[in-house]
Amino acid sequence: MLHGPDTRLRLIAVLLIAALLPILGQLVRLQVLEHSQYQSEAEALVRRQYGLPEAPWGVIMDRNGDLLVGNVPVYDVGIDITMITDTAPIAAVLAPLLNRTEEELLASMTPTESLETTVWRPLTKHVPIETAQKLKDLDWPWITLSPTWERYYAEGAMACHTLGFFNAEGIGYGVQAFQLRFLRAESFARYGQVSVDTKPLPGELAEGNLTPYPGTDLRLTIDRTIQAFIEGTLDQAIIDYKAVGGTILVMNPQTGEILAIASRPNYEPYRYAEYAQNGEEALFRDPAVSIAYEPGSVFKVVTVAAALDSGRVDMNWSYYDTGELEYGGVSIRNSSGAAYGQQGLQGILNHSLNVGVATLSTQVLGADLFYKYVRAFGFGQTTGIELTGEIGGIVHLPTDWDWSDSHLATNPFGQGIAVTPLQMAMAVSAIANNGVMMQPRIVAERRYPDGRIIPIPPHELGQPISAETARTVTEIMARSVETFGKVAQVPGYRVAGKSGTAQIPTTGGYDPQQVIVSYVGFGPVPNPQVVILVKLDRPDVPSNIRWGINTAAPVFQKVMARVLTLLGVPPSDLRAGQ
Amino acid sequence: MQRLLARLLLGVVVITTVLAGVYLMVVAANVHTARRLWAMENQIADVMRDNQALMTEIARLSSIPVLQERSVALGYQPAESIDYLYLGEP
Repeated sequence: MLHGPDTRLRLIAVLLIAALLPILGQLVRLQVLEHSQYQSEAEALVRRQYGLPEAPWGVIMDRNGDLLVGNVPVYDVGIDITMITDTAPIAAVLAPLLNRTEEELLASMTPTESLETTVWRPLTKHVPIETAQKLKDLDWPWITLSPTWERYYAEGAMACHTLGFFNAEGIGYGVQAFQLRFLRAESFARYGQVSVDTKPLPGELAEGNLTPYPGTDLRLTIDRTIQAFIEGTLDQAIIDYKAVGGTILVMNPQTGEILAIASRPNYEPYRYAEYAQNGEEALFRDPAVSIAYEPGSVFKVVTVAAALDSGRVDMNWSYYDTGELEYGGVSIRNSSGAAYGQQGLQGILNHSLNVGVATLSTQVLGADLFYKYVRAFGFGQTTGIELTGEIGGIVHLPTDWDWSDSHLATNPFGQGIAVTPLQMAMAVSAIANNGVMMQPRIVAERRYPDGRIIPIPPHELGQPISAETARTVTEIMARSVETFGKVAQVPGYRVAGKSGTAQIPTTGGYDPQQVIVSYVGFGPVPNPQVVILVKLDRPDVPSNIRWGINTAAPVFQKVMARVLTLLGVPPSDLRAGQ
Repeated sequence: MQRLLARLLLGVVVITTVLAGVYLMVVAANVHTARRLWAMENQIADVMRDNQALMTEIARLSSIPVLQERSVALGYQPAESIDYLYLGEP
């Protein structure tokens, strides 16, 4: 047999080596030859999606930092159906907590046939923290609570068209939809190596910052106090004049900042799903920027400004008003039906003479020059305000296929031309701002989560008329208020303005009864701080007072008086240092 | 010769043990730090939620309808007329 310890030792060594060789061989196979394959298989076992609760969207504040739209932390509730056997008692406990019937919950807990492999089922969405806490107190491991957010509208329906909303289907309105790329938080969900309790392994954490990155906050140009005031005033005006809707817009002509916009009918943004379910999506459109109307006589200030700026007329110019003008196959008459004799530019605005402005457009300016000014004032094109759904209105140009000579006679008094309230206010702002037209804007600054604050500077759109023309038109408008439009006067302040009463186009003509009344003006003169536009749709009042000067002008006066006070603008005599 | 080999073997075992110990210590510390880091990330998320909840609560309490109600309860009334005083240049 084996002789001596050395021989036995050698034999044992050989046996050990022989036994180790397959192990070594396997090690080489696993670690070297098939290393990559096994590594990927091992990684696949621990690689899963993981993430922190989603970060909040950016909030929206008014110009003074008061919150308009925020985020409420809520929870989505689900259930792991593999961990439960008897669903009925669970449904009975959850039903009152989740505000759902037991039948609904039982249906939610039962996977459909096609979902046999389902292990988790959603029960309800967006439950408040208090309910979530009660669910946690149940200490049921099969209940899952996923933190998420719900938009919170601090002032309810106030400024709903401006603020808007953005839903899960990707449909949005207002500034929220327009500024979505800034407001939306970066969703944090990464695919990586996690432990058995879905916590990322150290290597994952070393790869980068996992902190949720919230959306960018927006500070708007809106003043919450002015906004609340005009909303209340608009509601009252609609009641007083039995109107079906309306708009009030307040803007700073020097910067283009919108201080407030309110329109009716309105909606509550946090209930958008209910409106959509009821087929009331039309409420979401912002009448201030998305719905055009024929402005009527307020447009005369544009025509007078154009005529003056062209240099073809001055304050000494006059024409003889016969009360009627034939042009392009249509007969233009003054709204009163009367003839006013010899009239100048002041008389045209004082008496709101259709024949006068039609004379200016057809006999003084001509189509090319008139529409050059119409375009320069921004009509027929969007203003570029940060709100979704803005439209450019309708301006028929001589080069258009549907152009008619009659447009040149009717457009100067705001008929046959469609504008948005914002366009009209912007054009008048140019007159108030020495001829310089500022782009209307609603976002004052963006506040990034890293602390950067990026102000949005005012943007000049152009200068449709000279400063001298603007001052002259301002003077005409102010005198018109002081003589024929006293209802718009604000005690202590000099204001300029113009009323309008526009017919509403229907198929084949104009509605014989219904009108849109409006008033646009600015103050104080000189150095206007605000432009205010008031528009009321289809007021149902006696026909003798169904005019802009009787309905919209008093509302303008009320708003102007309060806004000047709220802005701390002292009366004219004090500003003059008397 | 055999003693030298034994010392060498012992040295290798000791060094290997020390290196393995250090490796394990570093890995354990790494895992511990990762856990803490993850917990802090979650804390940040929780603080964000608390912060947003407080912001909305403040907004609710300072919303215009609430302020109006409070003002009326305190006896305030809307200002009907405002008198301005002109202070000349000193």
